[in-house]
Amino acid sequence: MFCEKAIELIRELHRMSDGQLPAFNEDGLRQVLQEMEALYEQNQSDVNEAKSEGRAELIPSIKLRHCCLLRNQRCVTAYLYDRLLRIRALRWEYGSVLPANVRFHMCAEELQWFSQYKKSLASFMRSLGGDEGLDITQDMKPPKSLYIEVRCLKDHGEFEIDDGTVILLKKNSQHFLPRWKCELLIRQGVLEHVVS
Amino acid sequence: MFIADIRKDFYEVVANQRVVLLVAPDIDALCACKILQALFHCDQIQYTLVPVTGWQDLGTAFLEHKEQFRYFVLINCGANVDLLEMLQPDDDSIFFICDTHRPVDVVNVYNDTQIKLLIKQDDDLGVPSYDDIFRDEDEEGEDSGNESDEGSEPSGKRRRFDEGAVERRIERQRAKREWEARRREILFDYEQYEYHGTSAAMMFFELAWVLTKDTKDMLWWAIIGLTDQWVHDKITNMKYVTDIATMQRHVSRHNHRNEDEENSLSIDCMRISFEYDLRLTLYQHWSLYESICNSCYTSCSFKLWTLNGQKKLQEFLADMGLPLKQVRQKFNSMDMSIKENLRDVIEESSNKYGMKDIRIQTFGVHFGFKNRFLASDMVHATAALLESAEKDDSETDTFIKALDALSRSNIDRLHSGIELAKKKLIAIQQTVASCICTNLILSQGPFLYCYLMEGTPDVKLFSKPMALTLLCKYLLKAFSLCSFAHGVLDVEKGTVIVVGIPPESETSDKKNFFGRAFEKAAESTSSRTLHDHFDTSIIELKTEDRSKFLDALITLLS
Repeated sequence: MFCEKAIELIRELHRMSDGQLPAFNEDGLRQVLQEMEALYEQNQSDVNEAKSEGRAELIPSIKLRHCCLLRNQRCVTAYLYDRLLRIRALRWEYGSVLPANVRFHMCAEELQWFSQYKKSLASFMRSLGGDEGLDITQDMKPPKSLYIEVRCLKDHGEFEIDDGTVILLKKNSQHFLPRWKCELLIRQGVLEHVVS
Repeated sequence: MFIADIRKDFYEVVANQRVVLLVAPDIDALCACKILQALFHCDQIQYTLVPVTGWQDLGTAFLEHKEQFRYFVLINCGANVDLLEMLQPDDDSIFFICDTHRPVDVVNVYNDTQIKLLIKQDDDLGVPSYDDIFRDEDEEGEDSGNESDEGSEPSGKRRRFDEGAVERRIERQRAKREWEARRREILFDYEQYEYHGTSAAMMFFELAWVLTKDTKDMLWWAIIGLTDQWVHDKITNMKYVTDIATMQRHVSRHNHRNEDEENSLSIDCMRISFEYDLRLTLYQHWSLYESICNSCYTSCSFKLWTLNGQKKLQEFLADMGLPLKQVRQKFNSMDMSIKENLRDVIEESSNKYGMKDIRIQTFGVHFGFKNRFLASDMVHATAALLESAEKDDSETDTFIKALDALSRSNIDRLHSGIELAKKKLIAIQQTVASCICTNLILSQGPFLYCYLMEGTPDVKLFSKPMALTLLCKYLLKAFSLCSFAHGVLDVEKGTVIVVGIPPESETSDKKNFFGRAFEKAAESTSSRTLHDHFDTSIIELKTEDRSKFLDALITLLS
C-alpha cells in the first residue's frame, strides 16, 4: 500500500515520545522519496495520456496518486520538523556540547542546523543583560536558594568549577554547592538534589 | 590544641572557606553532622560530606581531598590517635576534631598549629602536663656536643676538668632516664583506659546556640546524640543525668512560645517535651508485651529465657491488672483506660520485682497527629538502618539512609528503621537465650568469652560493631559482673570480629581497657589483626589466629 513507509517513519518517532532522538532513518527517507518519485512519474505519464487521448477514466487514479504524494510530503516534513524540535530541546538539556552518542544519531544537515541554532541563541543571550549577557539556559525553574545540597549518585571523578576549584565526586558523598554549578550534573543524573 | 571560643576560632575561620566533613558511622556523629550541615546552609558555607568507616577510609578520604581543601572537620574520629603522623598532611591543612573518644592523644592536645580540638578543656580529660611528656631538644644537643668535644681532645692537662664533666654527664643521663621512666608511666596511666566524653551533637548545638541560630530540629538532634551515648552505654549515668538537665534548659527555652493560649502553635509544628518515661524499648511502636520481652533491662531482671522467668512475667502483668489480650495488642490500640496511668502502674509493680530504674529521664517529640517518638526510639531506628545487613548496600549507602531518616520529611524511612530495630532486638534476645541455655559462654579466667559460629541464625546482623556491642552488653547483664569479650565469624573475609566490654556494675565509669589489651596481645602473638574501627575495643582477627590471640589475652589480663 502507498504511504506505508512514511507512516513507519512517524511511528518511529512516536515510539520515543520522551524527547529522545532516534537515529536518522536515511533508508526510510530514501524509500519514501523513491515512492514519491515513482508515483510522480506515473502521474506525469497518466496526465499526458489523459490530456492527449482524452481518457477521463484515468483521472481518479491521478487524483489518488496526487493524494498519496501530498500525504507522503506531509509525513516526511512532519518527521524532519519533529526531529528539529527535539534537537532544539537537546540544546537546553545538554548545553552546547552534545554527547557523542546523540551526535551520532543526527545527520549532517541536522548538525549544521544545530550549530546555527546555537549561534543564534548565543548571540541572543549576549544581547540581553548589559555587558556580559545573560545565560537563560540556567535556572529553568525559579530557584529557592543560592546554594543547594546535592548527593553524588555515581563516581564521576573530578569536577572543576568556574573559579578553578576541583571537587571529587565520589558515590554517596554530599556537597553543598552554588546552584548554577550543579544544575547540569543534576540533569545528567550524576548528582541528586537533597531536600531536607 | 583546645579551642577556647568555638565561634571565633572555628566558625568564623571556616566562614568563607570550603570544608570537608569526615563523619564516623555512629548516631551521635550523624546528629552532629546534621546540626553542622544546617548551620552551614544558613551561612552558605560550601562543604563536602564524606562518610568514613575506619582509619583506612579516613586516610583514603584525606588523600583524595587534600589537594582541593584546606580545612577538615572530623566528627567522632581522630582524637585518640596521633593524627599528623597517620595522615602526614602538608603544613597548611587544618583539622578541627570534635570527637567523643578519650583519651585524646597528647600530640593532638599540644600541637598548636594544625590540630584544633572542638572539646571543652575540662571535659573529664586529665591530660598530663606538657613538661611531663615533652622535653626540649636543646639540652640533648648540648650533651652530645660536650661529649664529642671531650671525645676528640683527650689531653692530659684537662683530665681533672674531664672528671667533673664526666660526673655531670652521668648525673644528666640518670636524670634523663628517670624522667623517661616517669613519662612512660604517666602515658601508660593516661592511655590505658578508653572512654567517651560529651556528645559531639551537643557540642555543635552549643555552637548553634552561641550563634543564636539554633532551631528545634537542631535541639532534637542534639538530644538524639546524647541518647545514643546512653543507649549504647558509652557514658555513665551521672553524666547522662547532668547532660539531660542541660538539654532540659534548652527545651524549656524553646517551649516558651507554646505557653500562650491565644497564639498556640498548629498541631503540625514540632514540639519537644521532657518525659520521665519507661525504659521499655520501642514500646509505643510495638505491643507492650513484646517490648517487655525484648528490652534488655526487663528481660534480664526477669530472666525471661527460663521458665521461671516467664512465670514471673505473667505474675507481673497480673499484678498490674493488665489483661493479656490488651498487652499483646499494638500499643496504639490498647484501651485508653489502661494507657492513662500506665507509667505509674508499671513503676509501682516493678519496684516489687526489684527493677528500681524502670523509668528514665528522656525527651519525646511530636509533630502532626500521628507522629510521636521518644529519643531512644529514634536512636534504635537509625542504628538499625545504619547497620542493616542488606546485600546490595555498601556502608556509605546505609550511612546515607540513616542520615536521611533523621530529617522530619522522611518519616517512611524512620518507620522502616523502627521495623528493622524490632527485628534486631528480637534477634538479640533469641541469641542471648540460646547462648545462655546452651552454655556457650566460657569463663577464661579474667574474662568471659562467647563465640558465635557460622551457622547461628542472624549472624550477619551481628557482624556489625554496634549490634555486636549491644548483644555483648545484653549477654553480660544477663550473665552479670565479669568483663566480657565476644567474637563473631564473618565468613566472606575469613575473619572474626572481636569486641571487648568492661565489667558491668552500677557505679562503673565505663572505662574500657580492652583496646590496649588487644593491641598488646596481637603484637605478642603476631596475629593478623585489623584495628580499623575508631573504637579501639573492636578489632578484626584472622580466624586461624583466634586461639593463640585468646591465650595471649588471658595471660595479659590475669
